[in-house]
Amino acid sequence: MTQELVTVTIEGAQVQVPKGTTIIEAAKQAGILVPHYCYHPSLPAPAVCRMCLVEVEKAPKLLPACVTAVAEGQVVHVSSERAKKARTGVLEFLLINHPLDCPICDQSGECELQDYTFQEGRAATRYRDYPKRYNPVEDFGPDILYVTNRCILCTRCVRFMDDVAKSAVLNVSERGDRAFIGIAEEQLLDHPWSGNVVDLCPVGSLISKDFLHKARAWELDKTASICTGCSQGCNITIETRDDAVVRLKPRPNMDVNRHFMCDTGRLDYRWMNRGDRIEAPLLRQGTKAVATDWDTALDRLGQLTGGSGRAVILASGRASVESLGLVRAMLDGFDVTAAVRVPTGPEAPLAGIPNLALRSERAPNVHGAERLGYTRDWAGALNAAGTADLVVVLDASLDAEEEQRLQEVKGALVVLGTVVADFHHRAELVLPVTTMAEENGVYVNRDGRAQRYMQARNQAGMARPSWWIAGEVLAGPGPDADAPATAAQAFEDVGRRYPAFADLSHQSLGWVGQTLRETAGTAR
Amino acid sequence: MAIGVKVLKRPERQVSYVRATLKGLALTFKHMFETKVTMQYPEEKSTRDARGAWSLSPRWRGTHRMLTDEQGRSKCVACGLCPQICPANCIKLVPGEDEQGNRYPLIYEIDEFRCVFCGYCQEVCPEEAIHVGQHYENSEYSRSRFVYDLERLQSQPHAVSTLWDPTDPRGE
Repeated sequence: MTQELVTVTIEGAQVQVPKGTTIIEAAKQAGILVPHYCYHPSLPAPAVCRMCLVEVEKAPKLLPACVTAVAEGQVVHVSSERAKKARTGVLEFLLINHPLDCPICDQSGECELQDYTFQEGRAATRYRDYPKRYNPVEDFGPDILYVTNRCILCTRCVRFMDDVAKSAVLNVSERGDRAFIGIAEEQLLDHPWSGNVVDLCPVGSLISKDFLHKARAWELDKTASICTGCSQGCNITIETRDDAVVRLKPRPNMDVNRHFMCDTGRLDYRWMNRGDRIEAPLLRQGTKAVATDWDTALDRLGQLTGGSGRAVILASGRASVESLGLVRAMLDGFDVTAAVRVPTGPEAPLAGIPNLALRSERAPNVHGAERLGYTRDWAGALNAAGTADLVVVLDASLDAEEEQRLQEVKGALVVLGTVVADFHHRAELVLPVTTMAEENGVYVNRDGRAQRYMQARNQAGMARPSWWIAGEVLAGPGPDADAPATAAQAFEDVGRRYPAFADLSHQSLGWVGQTLRETAGTAR
Repeated sequence: MAIGVKVLKRPERQVSYVRATLKGLALTFKHMFETKVTMQYPEEKSTRDARGAWSLSPRWRGTHRMLTDEQGRSKCVACGLCPQICPANCIKLVPGEDEQGNRYPLIYEIDEFRCVFCGYCQEVCPEEAIHVGQHYENSEYSRSRFVYDLERLQSQPHAVSTLWDPTDPRGE
């Protein structure tokens, strides 16, 4: 299926693009940004903002780059005198009624109106006869405020709700200079994916109540990661300020989530900032748990895992492939029953995008765990734990009844945990481990796509990734022991032990992940 | 090469001290009738006098002051530009929202020990809230008192710097 290519010259650079590509996308391939507001690659283009007007040789007028398809031999000028003058004019019109409240606007620093005005706008207004139009702020829904005055009417939000979410609650009300984004009467912007309109808004008109006044855009450190909300595995960016996670944003991945993420995932970050963390390894001595160093703790863990008999692993669905794989391998001497906890919830699809939904399996790495010999039979594993010789809890969140049952287990109890819980006082060994925000790792989503996430903040106290603990135990004590030092090495180690992950590395997964080759069965 | 040393001859007879004493007393008494140039600090403070002597330059940059609006609230909207521009990284700012939905600083602290008194904070402030002051007496009993919080910054009574005007750099 070869597509016909056409050659165009954009700003002097020649590019070959498939026939039918718009000028704006062709320019992107040539490395040239055509300023735009209403165009978005995941939305239909209406060409209403007139910002992307470019000069095309032999065309009588400027053409909108977002809807004009390229033609063979076309010569496009993005920053010619005429095109620049048009953009300056558009910006001047937009700024007639745009308030100068950048100091208190949440979008400031990542605002496209701000950027383009700095680049090409007029320094001062010529419109002095009337005061600026004023409308009050409107409350659109559970997490969204609409600041009418800042709106530039690009209609990205309207098109997202109409064409992608297929829940047409937004519209353009009134006409001419009185126009604003209206919401259908008696309706709220409470679609499970509505938070995306905040990201889509090029200015600070639609803002998130959760992020309101929390931080300025330039203070944020951004880390590529994977959403932990469900097994869809949306690519996200974790944004931190002073080592605290302040918001999550979708990261484009055309094969998984395009440019979107759901509100459940978006707001599911507070657990990353929890303060009640286990900060040092706790070793049982008689009736007391004593804080100790890693060498002592690892020696004890080595003794416990050196035995034989029956062992049970109760793992969190948030644990990485590295951690799950090496912890399972650490117990090779035992007859292991391993299960991951999979919380469930209602499925919420995003209608306009195929194969994108908030999935009912609310754990990011269930499918990775299954390839590593873990099952979903949580109740069965809990029953087995009662009589097993060794029970390892890998950061699983438990309810009160399950904690009670774990206090009554017969064998030794080892906890690799992030936060303090009551049943820990029964444990032989409590080891502090990092959350997914504090380590590098790999998740496998429901389509068998392995995707990496990066460390976004510092670990709490002495916490270490679970794969490091298991790797040290597997390598044994001593200076010559060859334990994995990085998540990438741990992942390769997992690849050697489990055929599903063979021949993969962090490097080969890259930023967008890679679909695993399906291997027969899940067992080793 | 030998260094030449001038050797003075010691006086051979006794010399009178009366002449030298009278000379010294004459100078002392002469000063009693001349204009005094010493300022009696701290009883006397540097205020601008008729000759313009002993006064601070209008561009003097001292410890900070936060200006307030008519209701006594700080003018600061917590935009975050001053911590961003600060080369010494001495401003701590945590933004918040008040009952009327206005953005305001929950925490605004300046560590005056770290401050290099460049005046960038005043220059960058879009609300003309934070200013460097016409002030130089900063003694305290403890180091911790040099971290000025919002209340302290608001209650400073001293005058504020006008910095320099780019169109009039010499202040004329």
